[in-house]
Amino acid sequence: MAEPSDGLRPRFLLWLSVRFMTLLLQNLVNGLLLGGLYVCIAIGFSLIWGVLNIINLLHGSIIVLGSYIAYYAFTMFGISPFLAPLFVIPMMFAFGYGLQLAVLNRVVDKPVLITLTLTFGLDLILNNFMLAAFTANFRRVVFKDPFETLDLYGVIIPVDRVVAMALALVLTLAFYLLLNSSRIGRAIVAVRNDRDAAVLMGVNVKQIYAVTFGVGAAFAGAAGCLLSVVFPISPMSSGLYLGKAFVICVLGGLGSIGGALIGGLALGVIESMGVMLAGPEHSVLTGFLVLLAVLAIKPTGLAGKRGYE
Amino acid sequence: MLRLTNVSAGYGQIQVVRDVSLDVGEQEIVCLIGSNGAGKTTLLRAISGIAPFCVGTIEFNGEDLSDLPGHEIVTRGIAHVPEGRRLFRTMSIRDNLLMGAFRRRSASEIKHNLDRVYHLFPRLAERRDQAAGTLSGGEQQMCAIGRGLMSEPKLILIDELSLGLAPQVVDNLAKTLLHIRDLGISILLVEQDVEIAFELASRGFLLDSGQITVVGTTAELAENPQIKLAYIGA
Ligand SMILES: Nc1ncnc2c1ncn2[C@@H]1O[C@H](COP(=O)(O)OP(=O)(O)OP(=O)(O)O)[C@@H](O)[C@H]1O
Ligand SMILES: [Mg+2]
Repeated sequence: MAEPSDGLRPRFLLWLSVRFMTLLLQNLVNGLLLGGLYVCIAIGFSLIWGVLNIINLLHGSIIVLGSYIAYYAFTMFGISPFLAPLFVIPMMFAFGYGLQLAVLNRVVDKPVLITLTLTFGLDLILNNFMLAAFTANFRRVVFKDPFETLDLYGVIIPVDRVVAMALALVLTLAFYLLLNSSRIGRAIVAVRNDRDAAVLMGVNVKQIYAVTFGVGAAFAGAAGCLLSVVFPISPMSSGLYLGKAFVICVLGGLGSIGGALIGGLALGVIESMGVMLAGPEHSVLTGFLVLLAVLAIKPTGLAGKRGYE
Repeated sequence: MLRLTNVSAGYGQIQVVRDVSLDVGEQEIVCLIGSNGAGKTTLLRAISGIAPFCVGTIEFNGEDLSDLPGHEIVTRGIAHVPEGRRLFRTMSIRDNLLMGAFRRRSASEIKHNLDRVYHLFPRLAERRDQAAGTLSGGEQQMCAIGRGLMSEPKLILIDELSLGLAPQVVDNLAKTLLHIRDLGISILLVEQDVEIAFELASRGFLLDSGQITVVGTTAELAENPQIKLAYIGA
């Protein structure tokens, strides 16, 4: 009889399940930490899409530009990238506001294909400008005193990522408050609801469009600051970020902050689980597969609401 | 206070309203009647500066409004309660009302006007946090009128007060309009229900295929054979 000795097998199974739970938990934590940043990537994109009906192909490049500003502020002046949103937000707002007023407002009423083509062209310009100015080399923010990592019963939690995620959620909250409890936010939502009625209330629609694009760009830039701590920076990343924003908006449901929140966290967790189950090279693929599945089952996205609330 | 002289307006190539002259006095309710497609809505949109094209002079308290962009009209003291209410559906009643005061800057004034609207329509006060898109037709019309009042106008343009509403609801709204007039606000009322229109207004204009064909006090209009035949069915 070659039975294993009593107690060994149960103990092995226990060890295995604890290992598995820890691994699962670790990936869940990784996914949520990543997802918080994804939320921040998506809110501005979703706002511009929802209010202006513009699919802003510049979005990824604006994120990268935010990362570069944070990177150079860090390497040249020693300013922490976590503080960079304080000046990147007004800079990117001005950039977006000016761009909408000077360029995009001319075609904002045209079919989506026209605005899509225009933002595609603008993206080429901005991206190539960044390639020329910053080169395609990957850059990294390297802290002199690296942040610690916490070890909670075998689940490793990097503190810098926790800070980045917390700030991303603070930004999302600020975005929510801006849209829901400020005069200008109300006007943005009103224009989205009914443009003519908003004009009757005294809203200058072209100006609100510019503000909306400015806000979208500002939050993209802020997301870039936070991402600079986590990911290597290069103009080549813009397409990746744009793709994520797109997936999150469709996954969560277009045009609401709740949708971006659910979509962003979900995508983070899905990708992270994809890494665990299929290997890191398949993480992006998993995201798209789940997106296809969601679209097949619930075409309005997970949150499934219309209108900006 | 409002005087239109030879106003023509329409959409692109299509001229809907031709050579309309019309006036509204201080603290007066004036009605504009006419069959479907006569151009009543278009005329109100022209006054508010949101008709795609408009020629002629629109004068309000001595100022020429013709060249003002649509979003400036409300600052001159004209509010517009559009056809079909056009509320901001995802927003609460309160936020809709606050949008009415978008161009008002003084917080105390806004508060005062908000209280005034809640006083006129206690139902809105009860439901202030409810999304406007979920209100009943009558409540929506109250909200739309309240939103108009929030800009503290001297004149309100109301397009189709009774549209889709039960007679009793219309009666209540009509009473409120008289009350609003007594607050010193003039009303230009577009109304399909001629009986209601004549009951409220002191004078009226008949718009027929884009042109004003009959003008007079409502008592005169009620006796007019053309109107009797087409609208009162007597
Ligand atoms: N956006 C538009 N583009 C082109 N033509 C329009 C537009 N809106 C209205 N019209 C046309 O203008 C004419 C007048 O419409 P309008 O809405 O002013 O009439 P109305 O008197 O308000 O009618 P109703 O009593 O049905 O509300 C109609 O023939 C209509 O088809
Ligand atoms: Mg009409």
